[in-house]
Amino acid sequence: MSNGLSQFPDPDASPTVSLGQGLAVGAAARHWDVIVIGTGIGGGLAGRRLAEQGLSVLFVEKGPLGHRTEGQVLRDDLEDYTARQIRGFWPTPLEVRLDGARGERIFGPIGSGVGGSSVFYAAAAERPERHDMESTPGLPHPTGGWPVGYDAYRPYYDLAEDLLSVRGEADPLSDLPGPALSAPALTEPEARLFQALRDAGLHPYRAHEALRRVPGCTDCLGRKCPRACKMDGRSAGVEPALATGKAMLLADSSVEELVENGGRISQLRVRADGREVALTASIVVLAAGALNSPNLLLRSTGTHSAGCANSSGLVGRGLMFHLSELVALWPRRGDPTVGATRCLSFRDFYALDGQRMGLVQSMGVTADAGRIASFLKGMLARSRLRHLPGSGRLATLAAKIGADVFGSATVLVGILEDLAHSENRVRPHPEDPEMPLIDYWVSDELKARRTRFRSLLRRTLSRHRMLFLSLVPTLNFGHPCGTLRFGSDPATSVLNSECRAHDLDNLYVADASFLPSSMGVNPSLTIAANALRVADVIAARLDATARKAS
Amino acid sequence: MRHSSMPDATGEVVVISDATSSLGRALGLALARRGAQVVALAHMPAELAEDGLPSLVADVRDPASVAQVFDEIRAWFGAPTILINNAEIHPDRDILEETPDSFMDTLRINLGGAFNCCHAALPSMVAAGSGRIVNVVTFADIRPAPLSAGYSVSKGALRILTRALVADLGDRFPGIVVTDWIPGTHAPRRGVVDVIDPALAAEWGATLALMKSPELNGRLFLRDREHVPPQSLRGRVKDRVLGKGRRRVRLG
Repeated sequence: MSNGLSQFPDPDASPTVSLGQGLAVGAAARHWDVIVIGTGIGGGLAGRRLAEQGLSVLFVEKGPLGHRTEGQVLRDDLEDYTARQIRGFWPTPLEVRLDGARGERIFGPIGSGVGGSSVFYAAAAERPERHDMESTPGLPHPTGGWPVGYDAYRPYYDLAEDLLSVRGEADPLSDLPGPALSAPALTEPEARLFQALRDAGLHPYRAHEALRRVPGCTDCLGRKCPRACKMDGRSAGVEPALATGKAMLLADSSVEELVENGGRISQLRVRADGREVALTASIVVLAAGALNSPNLLLRSTGTHSAGCANSSGLVGRGLMFHLSELVALWPRRGDPTVGATRCLSFRDFYALDGQRMGLVQSMGVTADAGRIASFLKGMLARSRLRHLPGSGRLATLAAKIGADVFGSATVLVGILEDLAHSENRVRPHPEDPEMPLIDYWVSDELKARRTRFRSLLRRTLSRHRMLFLSLVPTLNFGHPCGTLRFGSDPATSVLNSECRAHDLDNLYVADASFLPSSMGVNPSLTIAANALRVADVIAARLDATARKAS
Repeated sequence: MRHSSMPDATGEVVVISDATSSLGRALGLALARRGAQVVALAHMPAELAEDGLPSLVADVRDPASVAQVFDEIRAWFGAPTILINNAEIHPDRDILEETPDSFMDTLRINLGGAFNCCHAALPSMVAAGSGRIVNVVTFADIRPAPLSAGYSVSKGALRILTRALVADLGDRFPGIVVTDWIPGTHAPRRGVVDVIDPALAAEWGATLALMKSPELNGRLFLRDREHVPPQSLRGRVKDRVLGKGRRRVRLG
């Protein structure tokens, strides 16, 4: 690798991302067309698109390369910093101050390694609808509409679905096209579940999933996939980017500061190989995730004490998650147990009477006796019965009898759209800048929509044995977004319509931070589509510059 | 002799440390009969058995020697897929006679030897995403016999090494499965005659070495079946009522 670049032989052969690992000193010795910070679904796909258009691309990834055969689940029971880091988990907890309460430290489903959080995602790749981005008749958009509309995004959704090998079928309730690839055949119990939901008046369709389903596919939902099968920031981004020979990867390399000079990012201060190096590029793409991208800007105080790109004061503000509404649904009498399945989605409550709710999908886990027992214990812990001796064991027994009588339930999860509020924010923790400090208030408006969402679900599924597993509003810490929103007014947004920082000429953002609203679907496909769009903006700009120079 | 019910070992490359012991040799023959490519490690050339198994000389105490012999194995036979850490010494030595050197030497073979072999075998297992390690252990750590300080400490530590391997690798590489096995072939004290025939034990050990379910990771097997720690009556009743207990895995 004398030229500092790397070769990746064949993306369909056994993937070996490690071949692209370069040395920090080599990366510092040259000027890159583009440096991409972070290798999740956004950074990975942006870097791939740029490299495929012939630009020199350097990926800088804070986490490790990892071994390509790894298959771990993202754990929240592992506290050791280094043990988390080795596994590609974000090494620190998040400190969350919910509704003004004292901070609680939790390990969120946030990755830090090649592929970022996306190597742990459940491969959900659902398209949002027009009303998620624009005002539509009867459904005004809470932001007045994104600066880029649905039609401009459409070709990038098509491209993202193609690159991510998305398969599934069209939602019968909308005029959205289905993915080009069809979903694998349903098992008999899954088909009976579809029928049961249809009988309840719902319109289920085959969930859209980013799985190539190569021979030997083991459904790596929620864990690292050892094959080039689950399509994520690593398998559909970094690895094909390295295959072009135009890209290089620096893993275990943490960007400490963006150095600003004359309205541009002139340098990245990076800690790698135990030393500090300075990297330079014509364009910097920030894609460290919606918690850590704003935190890097807030830590970059060399020029402005309020942080880089923060003239609006909005960096880190407007943080949204989704609320997850978990429902255990038991099979009807005579129907077989379905077990863990990710096969279906439905959008019957996606938006109703001018209210935004979201998609419901099967979650890929079963509610067996253990899960129901832990739910019952959680309920007991909140009730007056909590002092009753043996109540925990009673819950376990009740759950066991329930499971014996009713079988295992399928868990459905409803996504409830969360809207941006300025007081909901992330910033570096004063005690440890690596740890995101989150302030979040669940608004009354959100609580009211949750009540409505639950009552719709309860009413529709009333003929089934069902149980809500979410006792209180449950934030999905795996879906952070909105902390560097894009918009047309520099006073009310951080990025312009091209996802370039209003304040800086060469800083772009390609992760979930740009989202002005959280939509009613999983964010992955939209992050990918927007990252591809941003990459095209950058490639066109660098192409124009090169032509002017020659 | 090959039973159709026996797991097939075709394609496996098995490394057995100290295949000069009666158990080691029997394990090697049992796995070879089932179709595995078996490589036996021996401490000295003079110890090599005349049983047709390819044998290589390695001092398991010496990391360089172990690394070199694993390089040779990879070059000649392919990357090891199964490692059986069988090398051990059991000096009968009163602790008043034990010297720091003699004590540590037992640890260097019984514990260090196993670690050195794991260290040499793991990189290719990690690259493949699969592999099988069987550590031959005893209950000596639970109740050390007289004259067995070095032995009991080293074998107890080997059981801890198994659990440490699982703690570091179990979630990341579910296809790399590490288990403990107490073959029951040892006569712990002179005069004890109730000992399993190594040839019989080796059939169980071979079956265990060929079991690859990630669920087995970290489990302990005693002779021909899984050993589950003893449980109180109350615990057993509770598990039965709540349907929590599980069936022990059998090898025979």
